[in-house]
Amino acid sequence: MKLKKTILGAVAALSAGLGAFAQNEAVLRPVTSVYTVEAGSSYLCDTYMTPLKYGGWQMALGYERWQAMRFDPENWVMNLGGRLSVDRTLNPARNAVMWGLDLRLDWAMMRRFDIASVPGLTLAAGGQTTLNGGVLYLNRNSNNPASAKAAWTVGVTGQATYSLTLGRLPVVLGYRPSLPLLGCFFSPDYDELYYEIYLGNHSGLAHVAWPGSFFRFDQLLSADLRFGATALRVGYRCNILSTKASNIVSRQISHCISLGISGEWLPVDRGGKLSDEARIISAYY
Amino acid sequence: MKHLGYLPLAIAVSIAAAACHSIEEFDNGLQGNFDALWTTLDQHYCFFEEKGVDWDSVYREYKPRVNDTMDVFAYFDVCADMLDELRDGHVNLSSSFKTSYYRKWWSDYPQNYDERLIQEHYFNFEYSQAGGLTYGMLADSTIGYIRYPSFSYGIGEGTLDLIFYQMRDCLGLVIDIRDNGGGSLTNVETLVSRFIDRRILAGAISHKNGPAHNDFSEPYKFFYEPNYEHVRWLRPISVLTNRSTFSAANNFTGIMKTLPMVTIVGATTGGGSGMPFSSEIPCGWAVRMSGSRLYDPLGHETETGIEPTEGYAVDLDPEAEANGIDNMLETAIEAIYRFYDSDSDTEG
Repeated sequence: MKLKKTILGAVAALSAGLGAFAQNEAVLRPVTSVYTVEAGSSYLCDTYMTPLKYGGWQMALGYERWQAMRFDPENWVMNLGGRLSVDRTLNPARNAVMWGLDLRLDWAMMRRFDIASVPGLTLAAGGQTTLNGGVLYLNRNSNNPASAKAAWTVGVTGQATYSLTLGRLPVVLGYRPSLPLLGCFFSPDYDELYYEIYLGNHSGLAHVAWPGSFFRFDQLLSADLRFGATALRVGYRCNILSTKASNIVSRQISHCISLGISGEWLPVDRGGKLSDEARIISAYY
Repeated sequence: MKHLGYLPLAIAVSIAAAACHSIEEFDNGLQGNFDALWTTLDQHYCFFEEKGVDWDSVYREYKPRVNDTMDVFAYFDVCADMLDELRDGHVNLSSSFKTSYYRKWWSDYPQNYDERLIQEHYFNFEYSQAGGLTYGMLADSTIGYIRYPSFSYGIGEGTLDLIFYQMRDCLGLVIDIRDNGGGSLTNVETLVSRFIDRRILAGAISHKNGPAHNDFSEPYKFFYEPNYEHVRWLRPISVLTNRSTFSAANNFTGIMKTLPMVTIVGATTGGGSGMPFSSEIPCGWAVRMSGSRLYDPLGHETETGIEPTEGYAVDLDPEAEANGIDNMLETAIEAIYRFYDSDSDTEG
């Protein structure tokens, strides 16, 4: 019941317009920004182009932005993320190259819970919406050299952070899983050529995304080593995507090491000063 | 909070559902690659029914020929022979040492084209070339001639404008696409859009929408628009074809044949109306096959070729050839003159 009340409260707050809830001037909501570079292994397969599994590397640039929500900064946080990745993979015979390119944008809102029994541990859970687009490209193919990717999904996400100190260095360990549950995604028909789509046949290209047709499970394990207002992030990301539509199975799996920096930005009042009485509520730290 | 307890269950169900996204795998031995090749064609090839090929019996015939002691070259030949059963110029198996081709679709027929014959005896080697086009004027400059050897060569809109401008006083145009093995269908559209004065039905396409032999989408009709921004040619045209007029060139022939000012002259084209689709097998060999059916504007399947306009089927006469005459080209020119004759007869 408590969860239901909380969700209803959040929905009411959003529908009334965030501006209707004047921010408590005594509360400051710093923005935590994280910039990452990621590299690791990649496995691609798309039966529209080939039944073979390709293996190689992935590199990516990522951005995350965290902030406590205006309407209830103690309990609700939002997260905005973007990630641009490039894959280069080889077939098992190592005589063909498949490239992958993907750009995704995520927005999530989570209710967080401090676990009183474990000091330093914060759990959060909520919803996430993701928009992504990209392409897999296999240059050896003639009329089907590419498989375009586009999807919009909503799903669940969570966040667990645990603050500790290593010697005198504050460290925040984090775990972030996300799982889309519903949405839509693009896929051509079984052997439909993009030329036919170019000619104007656009029927049957959009498919309902649910875990049976569009399974994506993304996980990030991270450790933020805090040096004052900035932190060094070291992490491991595992992204799994498997889709099936029109008898076409597509898989993209990557395991990446993530390195990055993060910083917290504090908003100030119009006079350019921080209120002495301001209470700072960080969304991440 | 208690509802969160369902989350692990939801994740478990999701993982179970995703596990259904299986991909059939074959081992990378000789037997496995053979099975992968056969299965790829079985699931993606689009002309089994038209060609009356029993693919299961093909498997039973060829699989016993594969044995684990054979060398890779003999193995390739067994695979290539199996693909030849489809009698399709769009089916190839490509390895690092060889690409298989089914050649009988043209090799069993007269070639009907001698490039030098025209270059020497009709142009005295004074023809013009621009991009992928060779052109000039024939018959006292009353007939324009354009040779387009491959639809893989891009056609510049400005180039076409200038060619048509030079031919502005000609009565008609011969487009020679003998030995044109195809290429890009967008070049077909570029060219056809110069010869029409209204939107036309250009054909229909039907792709395989599942792995079974008769899984096909409803044919999707597509249309071409006249190219109003550039010079258009609306006078009589003869399109010269031979058996090696294939694929996109075959498609061009099918569309042109439906235009009122056009005569198809020469020999039946080589067909190749299947749109190629690619895949590969575990050893890394690439496979290409017909995956979508392309129909002509009349809804006809043209995989086995398009016949010339009635009364204009003609082969290259070796005796005439020896005398420096391309009798197929002469017939194409005659068709243009006849068009004017029949026009004046009608008026009379």
